Amino acid sequence: MSVVAHKDPKLAGRAIELPEGPEWVSALRVFDGHVAETLASVAHTLYPHDGLPERVYRRVVAQFDRMAAASPNAAQMMAQLVDLVDEAMPLPFVELSDGYRTEVLKRIEGTPAFRLVQRSTVRFLYDDIEVWQAFGYEGASVHLGGYVKRGFDDLDWLPDPPAAS
Amino acid sequence: MDAISTPKRYDLDDDGVVVIIGSGAGGGTLAHELTRRGVEVVLMEAGKHLTAEDFVNDEWGGYEMLSWLDKRTASGSWRVAKDHPEAPSWHCQVVGGTTTHWSGCCYRLIADEMRARSVYGEIPGTSLIDWPITLEELEPYYDLAETKMGVTGTNGLPPLPPNNNFKVMYWGASRLGFDVSTGRHAINSVDYDGRPATIQDGFTITGDKTGSRWSTLNVEIPRALATGKLDLRPQSRAVQVEHDAAGKASGVVYVDGNGVRQRQKARAVVLAGNCVESPRLLLHSASGRFPNGLANGWGHVGRHYLRHVIQTVWSVFDKPVNMHRGEIMTGLVRDFVRHDPARGFAGGYYVELNSMGLPTTAAFLEPGWWGRDFVSVIEQYSHMAGMLLSGEDMPQPGNRVTLTDELDAFGVPVANIHYDDHPNDLRLRSHGYKTMTAIHKAAGAKRIIEAPAYPASHNLGSNRMAARAEDGVLDGNGRAHEMRNLFVADGSSFATGGACNPTLTIVALAIRQADFIAGQMAKGEL
Ligand SMILES: Cc1cc2nc3c(=O)[nH]c(=O)nc-3n(C[C@H](O)[C@H](O)[C@H](O)COP(=O)(O)OP(=O)(O)OC[C@H]3O[C@@H](n4cnc5c(N)ncnc54)[C@H](O)[C@@H]3O)c2cc1C
Repeated sequence: MSVVAHKDPKLAGRAIELPEGPEWVSALRVFDGHVAETLASVAHTLYPHDGLPERVYRRVVAQFDRMAAASPNAAQMMAQLVDLVDEAMPLPFVELSDGYRTEVLKRIEGTPAFRLVQRSTVRFLYDDIEVWQAFGYEGASVHLGGYVKRGFDDLDWLPDPPAAS
Repeated sequence: MDAISTPKRYDLDDDGVVVIIGSGAGGGTLAHELTRRGVEVVLMEAGKHLTAEDFVNDEWGGYEMLSWLDKRTASGSWRVAKDHPEAPSWHCQVVGGTTTHWSGCCYRLIADEMRARSVYGEIPGTSLIDWPITLEELEPYYDLAETKMGVTGTNGLPPLPPNNNFKVMYWGASRLGFDVSTGRHAINSVDYDGRPATIQDGFTITGDKTGSRWSTLNVEIPRALATGKLDLRPQSRAVQVEHDAAGKASGVVYVDGNGVRQRQKARAVVLAGNCVESPRLLLHSASGRFPNGLANGWGHVGRHYLRHVIQTVWSVFDKPVNMHRGEIMTGLVRDFVRHDPARGFAGGYYVELNSMGLPTTAAFLEPGWWGRDFVSVIEQYSHMAGMLLSGEDMPQPGNRVTLTDELDAFGVPVANIHYDDHPNDLRLRSHGYKTMTAIHKAAGAKRIIEAPAYPASHNLGSNRMAARAEDGVLDGNGRAHEMRNLFVADGSSFATGGACNPTLTIVALAIRQADFIAGQMAKGEL
């Protein structure tokens, strides 16, 4: 299913690059290691794509870090979320099993902090070009001549509609 | 080009100009139609003057560049109040307004819809009326609108070709015996009017980079500028409409791009700021003489707000669809548009093709949804197909735009939009979901998601036309019953919503209004 995807050339410079491995947290401005790792595991538990590498969730957290740097309110909500998920069980969230993590998130679903983090995860996770490629979304096309000669009507498992009048 | 490099400037004290607030479907069209009739126009637009170069092929990038992002609040039983409490309505803030964003579907109201009260009868809880004008009166202007916009399927223009997503819809709908076609669009299927045929880039709604789709940005405004009669003022935010001692509109206070307050005098004022901003300005322009706001003596400003019954269905198939490739709304089923009481609800709906990229499909599928089930659906993005329903919702006096106590950066109160679903809306909604799921099922869908409405993109009715002043804000020419030189030229003027996407009607009404205004001026009555 994986494809080559394109970001609009104008936006190409905006992609986030993080170091591989545990040093990724050192690229963040606001979050400390614990907050960053906790948020990454929250994002992963919310949208557990088994085929995606951990770095896509880390890039989501890097976007949260930018949000937190720009808005004290966002920073406070994210810190609040980390407290909520850490206090729910006798173990910190990052040390919980998958089943317990899900249970903890279900419990706090109604809170504004959860809402912000869940919505923002959707916003950034599915806007990541590596995720686009994994799920077959090809993205920007006008600089490649659109899809008019690149498959806008190539579906071949149903009969073609009769020529329009 | 010359007209753009040496723009016309009217004096702030020039009280011979018509001031139009908002450059979208209604305001941008009216500006062109008036200037080509020789009328001098100042067009104020809150947003920037962008060009095709500025636009991006990127869903969130385009949204953030074009949208009206100022805060609003929402209340009522509609799902939007829960999912999008600070952005309940979706439109643009840019020269060209929401015509930089729209997907080009162009359908006409039908005669029964314009006589809704007479045809549907009395429906408890609604404030249904008939339009003060008939379809017959509007038809010549629909013809003009279709010609200027290059609507496919009219004037000998071929329809847009079927894309992958449409093939799925077509197969399902035709197996069920429905009348299904790619529909009609203000998007070129062949070169027309100096604009190219579409290259099927799939990003119509982030600001069309090739210009194959009609917008006021790429057609009406350049032509209005070329007349030498238009003074276009981007980044100019109207904050108040003023009147004179005789109770006539006399000018508009606005904040210019440098943050400076200015006062432009006017011979007539036209509000075309979209369905939330136009009533907001009228309400905020209250004075000693008009304590409830301008044109609001009968209390209708902001009321009877409509947003259509809009919803999407997304389905997963065994084989690839790649719905993101190509124009996004090229599909139409019209079997359900006629009022048929046997269905158990008044009014009707269209089923239209719809596609979104991965970023917004994920965001709108079901905004609070997370976990393994969501993941199992979205991972199959390339195998998904989509459709949208556009149906008539019932006007209710309590569904309304009001001012809150919170002020925005310009000192104008933030608007609240209240909307409660009427039982008729819910019956239509349920019927529509069943039709759409049946179509995808007939095409072999293995999983079908009934997605909720996203922020309102068809905003209508909040300054409605009515034959009698006690029923609405405007007369059949879009003129305020209470102020003879105050007009509205946007979707808020609709007496009822009908089922179809509204822009073709907004444009037709604007052309008709230009005839009226120019005629009144010629007679010395305005
Ligand atoms: C994603 C999307 C897809 C759509 N697709 C379709 C479609 O396929 N077919 C269809 O018929 N319709 C479609 N629509 C709806 C269509 O775009 C609108 O109905 C139409 O553009 C509304 O026209 P309008 O004149 O009322 O306002 P707009 O086009 O929204 O223009 C209003 C303008 O007024 C300006 N303004 C507001 N307040 C002020 C102020 N105080 N001072 C100065 N300027 C101000 C705004 O910035 C804006 O530019 C779509 C809408 C969206 C969001």
